[in-house]
Amino acid sequence: MKFQIEEITVYFPYDHIYPEQYSYMLDLKRALDAKGHCLLEMPTGTGKTIALLSLITSYSLSKPQTPIKLLYCTRTVHEMEKTLAELRLLYTYQVKHLGESAQILAIGLSSRKNLCVNPNVVSGSTRDSVDAGCRKRTASWVRELASTNPNIETCQFFDNFDRMGSDNYVLPAGVYTLQDLRSFGKEKGWCPYYLARRMVRLANVVVYSYQYLLDPKVSGIISQEMQRECVVVFDEAHNIDNVCIEALSVSVRRQTLEGATRNLSKMAQEIDRLKATDAGRLRAEYNRLVDGLAQRGNLPITDAWLSNPALPDDILKEAVPGNIRKSEHFLSVLRRLVQYLKGRLETENVEKEGPVSFVASINAQAGIDQKMMKFFYDRLHSLMLTLEITDTDEFLHIQTICDFATLVGTYTRGFSIIIEPFDERMPHIPDPVLQLSCHDASLAIKPVFDRFQSVVITSGTLSPIDLYPRLLNFHPVISRSFTMSLTRDCICPMVLTRGSDQLPVSTKFDMRSDPGVVRNYGRLLLEMAAAVPDGIVCFFVSYSYMDGIVNSWNEVGILQEIMQHKLVFIETQDVVETTLALDNYRRACDCGRGAIFFSVARGKVAEGIDFDRHYGRLVIMYGVPFQYTLSRILLARLEYLRETFQIKEGDFLTFDALRQAAQCVGRVIRSKADYGMMIFADKRYSRHDKRSKLPGWILSHLRDAHLNLSTDMALHIAREFLRKMAQPYDKAGSSGKKTLLSQEDLEKLGDRDPADMLF
Amino acid sequence: MATRQVVVRCNYKTTVKDPGVKGVLIMMEDRIIFTPNDPTSVKLTIGLESVQKQLFNRKGNHKEALLNLILDTAINGGRCIFEFENFSERDVCCEFISKFLTNKLQSKKSCRKDPKPISEIFSDEQLSTAEMDFRMKLLEENNELQKLHKQFVLSGVLSESEFWVTRKELLSTEASKALKQRVGFKSAMITDINPVLDGRSNKVTFNLTPEIIDQIFAEKPAVHKAYLKFVPYKFSEVEFWRKYCRAKYLYRESNVAAVVAAADDDEVIASFFKGDETLANDSRRKLRRVDPTLDMEADQGDDYMHHDESKGAIGLECDEYNLSHNLNRHAAVVLQGRAEHVALGNTWTVAAEALSRSKQAGLDESATQAARMEMVYRMVAIEDLQDPHHKLPFAPLSIKDPRQYYDSQHANAVRNVGDAEFSTKPISHDLNTQHTCGSLKNLILDMRENGFSDPVVMPDVALKVLKDLTQHHSSTKYHIIGKSPQENVLDRLPEENKKEVLHHSASTQELLKHFWSSYPITTSYHYTKVSRLIDAMSEIYLKLQGIKESVQSDFRHQISQLVQPMLHALDTAFGHYDTHTQNRGLERPNKYA
Repeated sequence: MKFQIEEITVYFPYDHIYPEQYSYMLDLKRALDAKGHCLLEMPTGTGKTIALLSLITSYSLSKPQTPIKLLYCTRTVHEMEKTLAELRLLYTYQVKHLGESAQILAIGLSSRKNLCVNPNVVSGSTRDSVDAGCRKRTASWVRELASTNPNIETCQFFDNFDRMGSDNYVLPAGVYTLQDLRSFGKEKGWCPYYLARRMVRLANVVVYSYQYLLDPKVSGIISQEMQRECVVVFDEAHNIDNVCIEALSVSVRRQTLEGATRNLSKMAQEIDRLKATDAGRLRAEYNRLVDGLAQRGNLPITDAWLSNPALPDDILKEAVPGNIRKSEHFLSVLRRLVQYLKGRLETENVEKEGPVSFVASINAQAGIDQKMMKFFYDRLHSLMLTLEITDTDEFLHIQTICDFATLVGTYTRGFSIIIEPFDERMPHIPDPVLQLSCHDASLAIKPVFDRFQSVVITSGTLSPIDLYPRLLNFHPVISRSFTMSLTRDCICPMVLTRGSDQLPVSTKFDMRSDPGVVRNYGRLLLEMAAAVPDGIVCFFVSYSYMDGIVNSWNEVGILQEIMQHKLVFIETQDVVETTLALDNYRRACDCGRGAIFFSVARGKVAEGIDFDRHYGRLVIMYGVPFQYTLSRILLARLEYLRETFQIKEGDFLTFDALRQAAQCVGRVIRSKADYGMMIFADKRYSRHDKRSKLPGWILSHLRDAHLNLSTDMALHIAREFLRKMAQPYDKAGSSGKKTLLSQEDLEKLGDRDPADMLF
Repeated sequence: MATRQVVVRCNYKTTVKDPGVKGVLIMMEDRIIFTPNDPTSVKLTIGLESVQKQLFNRKGNHKEALLNLILDTAINGGRCIFEFENFSERDVCCEFISKFLTNKLQSKKSCRKDPKPISEIFSDEQLSTAEMDFRMKLLEENNELQKLHKQFVLSGVLSESEFWVTRKELLSTEASKALKQRVGFKSAMITDINPVLDGRSNKVTFNLTPEIIDQIFAEKPAVHKAYLKFVPYKFSEVEFWRKYCRAKYLYRESNVAAVVAAADDDEVIASFFKGDETLANDSRRKLRRVDPTLDMEADQGDDYMHHDESKGAIGLECDEYNLSHNLNRHAAVVLQGRAEHVALGNTWTVAAEALSRSKQAGLDESATQAARMEMVYRMVAIEDLQDPHHKLPFAPLSIKDPRQYYDSQHANAVRNVGDAEFSTKPISHDLNTQHTCGSLKNLILDMRENGFSDPVVMPDVALKVLKDLTQHHSSTKYHIIGKSPQENVLDRLPEENKKEVLHHSASTQELLKHFWSSYPITTSYHYTKVSRLIDAMSEIYLKLQGIKESVQSDFRHQISQLVQPMLHALDTAFGHYDTHTQNRGLERPNKYA
C-alpha cells in the first residue's frame, strides 16, 4: 500500500498496516526532519523492522536531492539476514510500483569468515585464521613478490577484483544478503569481501553488526568514510550499553602474556634478519614515525588491519615519542610491560585500581609513561607492516597487550582495572585474569552520535525509557514508548509462584538446588508439554543452572516423561551444535512432533532467535536472570553508575534482569495473528518492584488473577487460553479501536496520529 | 455315484477363535448347506465346486474337532470353519469332501486337454490372488467390516463386487502404501539400557534387542564404527556388546576413573569414547544447509570483542556422556527417522542399515538453497498484514476417528451450553427446494466467474458447519445423559445393546449407501439390486423397532434417540422407493422386469 505521512509518500509492502506502525513511522519521520536522534520502544510482534525500513527508504526516495544513507545495525549475523530478507520484500514492492527510480543498492557486510569464497582460505576455523589466510595471499608485499615468483600463492578472487580497477566493478542495484554476495563473487570471480567493503561507500543501505560502528578498532577501518548524512539504526538495542562497554574492555590472562612473550621473540628474530638483509626498511619506518602516524590513509585496502582501539577524537595527531621509534627499543619496552603485567597477575588477592594509579605504578616500576602507552597499538601496527608479517592470527596476544596499553594510556576515567587470581565460582582453580573494564557506555557510542545526523535506537524492551539517554549520554529529540493495540488478547503472561504442592519456586541462590523446587519446575514443564501444542521454549538463568537441573530431571525420570510428549533440544556452549539443534527444533515443530528448547537467558539463542508462531506457543522463564552479582566487574560498574548517575545498585540489577527476561519471553510474538503464553516461574516476580520493571505491553496483559499461580492453576489457564486462541476472529479489530488499517482508513486519517483517535 | 447325504450337528465359525453359530450341516452332492439353529442367523450355502481344499486338525484330547474349508476366495471370505462335536463325525465329513475333491481334480485334468477352459464360474470380476488376499486381510483387520461383509455378501443382498466398489479408497490407498505405518524411533530416549541385577550373585544382565542396537548405532556413531571395525575379525558379537555394557555399567556407577582405566587398557572401549570426526564433518555439512536466519555460527565471524579462547580438550566426559549432547543427538536422530522396511531381524542387517544411513544424505545441497531462501522470505512476511489472497498453504483437516473426535469436543460444547444456553438457533434441517436451487445457482454463477477457489468450501462456512455439528452432536448427547461430559452415551448402555445398535447403524449405513447410489435406475440390474436392498432394509427396520421395544425401560429413551435417525433415514428411502415405483409403474410398466 501507498500512503502519505505529511509530505512523504510511504511505500509499504503490505495491504494493511498496524496503527502503531503508522505512529512509529510518524515519530521516526519527525526525528529525521529534525535531524536528531530518537529512542523508540515498540513491542515485539508489531513489525518494527519493516516500518523502519519502509519509512527511511521512502524518505530517501522522496528527497532525491539530499539522499540519506541507512546504516542498519543488528546484533547478530542471523538478524542481519532477516533484516535483508525484509528489505528485499520491500525493495521488490517499491520497484514494482515506482520502476527504476526506486532502485537502491543494499548490502550486508560481515567479516572475511562469512564472505570469503576462496576454498583454501575459508576452511580456517576461526575468524582470525581466515583473516590471516587472506592476508597471506593478498598483502601488497606478498602480491609484489608473487609477480616475480610464481610459487607464491595468491588469491585469484582478489586478483581478478583488483585487476578490474576501482571504477569498473559494479554491483547492480538490488538487495544482497551475504549468500547473494558470495554467489555473485563466485560467478564473477571477484572477491566478495573486498567488493562489499568498496561498495559500502556507494550503497544506499548497509546492514552490519553493531561492532562495525561501536568498536573503534573495527569502525576505524570500515565506517570511516561514512558521511554525516546517514541514518544509523540500532535495532534490538536494549543491550546496547553492554555492547559499548565490551567494545572498550580488554582482558589479559596468563596465556595472553605467554603468547605475547613468544610473539616478541619472534619479532626480535625478524628484526635481526631484516637488519642483516634490508636495514633501509627499518630506517624508512623510523623516519615515517618521526613525521607522525599519518600513513593510514594511503595504505592499500588489504594491508589495513584493525585500527586503534581508542576513539578517533582521542588519538593524538602527533609524532610517536622518540623512545619507541626504534623497533628494538619498542620491543624492549613491550617486554618490560609484559613482565610487569606478569608480576601483577601473580597476586593472591583481588585488586581493583583506576587507570591513573595503574599507569603511575607502571611508570614507577617499568619506566613506561602514559604518553608512550597511548601509541603502543599504532606503533605495533607499523612494526608488523614493516616486518611484513602476514600470519596475524599468531600475533593476537601481543595485539591484545598493546590494545590494553593504549586504552589505559588514553582514558583516565570511566574505567577500572581488576585483577582476580581465580574465578569466584571455582576458587580452587587458579586462573588469574587482569581486566580493563569500561563502565561508561557513552564513551564508545559518542562518536556515533557526533558524526551522524540521526541515530535511531529501537527495541521491544527499552523500559524505563528515560534511563537510556542517561546511560548513553545523548539527547533524543523524540523518545517514545508505544503500546500494542491487540485485536484479541493474544499474549498471556502468567506469574507462577508455586508448584502443584503449593511450595514456592524460585532460583534464588538458597532455593535453587532444593529438590522440591527442581521437581516442581520439572512437573510444570511436563504438564505444559502435555497441554501445549508444537513448540515450547524454556529459559534458564545460566548454563550451569540449566545443566544442573536438566541432569536432575534426567535422574528422577521427569525428563523421560517429558520426552514422551515432545522432543527435547538444548543449547550448548558449542554454537555449531546449538545451531543444528535449533534447526532440528524447527523441523520438529513443522512436522508436528512438537519440541522443547532449553536455552539460557543471556545466551546466544536468547539474543535474537525468534520463536514465533508454532515455534513457540509457550515460553517458560525459570527464575529471574540476574547477572552474576558477585562479579567484580559488575560491582565496579554499579559503583560507577551510582557515583555518576545516582542509579541505585538494586534498581539497576533488577532493571537489567527484567529487560533480559522480557527479551526472552518477547520472542514468541511475531504479529497480531500470532499468539503465545509466557510463564514467569519464580516467586520473586510477584513482587511489585520486580514486576513493574517489565515493559508496558506485557504488564498490560498481566491480569491480577495471574500474579500468584500454582502449576495446576497455570495449566488450567493455559488450556483455556489455547482454546480461545483457536477460534476464528476478525483481524481488523472489532468494535471500538481498529487494530489493522487499510489504505482507505489511512486516507481518512490524514495526518493525525491513530493512537489519538478512535474509529 | 449314489446320492449321498451327510447330516451332522456342528458349529460354524469364520475364524478359529470365533465362538461360532450352532446349527446343522448338510453335505450334498453339489453343495453344503449350513442351517443355524437360531432362525435369525444367516443360512449358509456353499457350492462344492468352490472348495479348493480342506484342512483339519489332529485327533487329540481336549481339542475341538475342526474342519477348515478353503474356498474360492470370492465366496464367504475364502474359507469357513466348522467345529464338530466329535472327531468321528468330522472324519465322515472329511471323507466326503476329499472324495469330491479327487473327482474334481480328475475332471480338471480332463478339462485341461480341452482347448476351451471353463471359466466364469461365479464371480463377475476377475481378481488376482494378491487382490483377494488383500481384501481378506482388510476383513480380518477390521472387525466391523467383516461383520457387514458376512451379513450382506453372504446372505446375497450384495454381491462381492458391489460390496467392495464402495470401498475403493480403502483398497487403493492402503494398497499403494506398504500397508503398515512407518514406525520411527521413539521420542523418549532409551533409558541407558537398564541392567537387571539378580539379588544373589554379582551378575548384571543387560538386555539388548535389535531395536535398541539400531538406536545405539544411530545415536553413537563411535560405537557403530567400533562395531564395524572389530566385530567379525576380533571379537564375537556377544563379546563386543559385553564390553560395551561393561563400559556403560562402570559409568553408571559413576566410576569414571575405572572407565578411564578400562579405556586405557582396551582399545575397543577407548574407541567408544572417541569423538567421531565424521560426526563433526557431518555437522559442518549440515550447517551449510541451515536457515541463515538461525545460523549463530556466523556471528562468531563478526565478533571482534571475544577472541576464541580455545577450550582445552574436554575429553571423555564430553563426548559420550554429556547429557546435553546426547539429548540433541537423540532428537536429531529421531527426526531423521529410519529408512523404511528395516527388518530388525538380526544385528547384521541393523549394522548395515546404520551404515547406509550415515553414507546417504548430502546429495541435494544446491537444490535446497533456493527452497531455503524461499522459506526465509515466507517466514519474514507478516501474515495478517497481507490481503487474504496471499494464502498460505493449508493442510486439510483429517480426523482419524470421528467418534473419538466428537467425544473430545463434547466438553467444549457442554461448556458453551452452560455459558449461553446454546447460542446457535435451532437450524432448520429441511430446506425447501427453491432455497436449495437458489443457493446452488449462486454457487455455480460464482464458480463461473471466479473459477474454483482453492478450498472449494469457504473456510468460515466450513468452520461454522463443523462447529454446529460438533455442538449439536455433543449437546444432544449431553441432553440425553447429562452429567459427565467425557462419557459416551453408548458407554452407558448395556454391552449387548451397544453392540447391536452400532452394528445396525453400520448396516443401515451400508444399505442406504448402496440404495441411493443405485438411483436413478437405468438398468434391470439396478432394479433388482434395489428390490433386494429394500427387502434387507425392511428387515433391519423391523429389528430396530424390536430393539426399541425389547430394551430395558431405563435405556429406552436413549436408545430410541439413537435409533430414531436411522429409522428416519430408512423411512426416507422407503418413501423414495415407493414414489419411484409408482411413477415407473404409471409410465412404462415392466420395463426392467
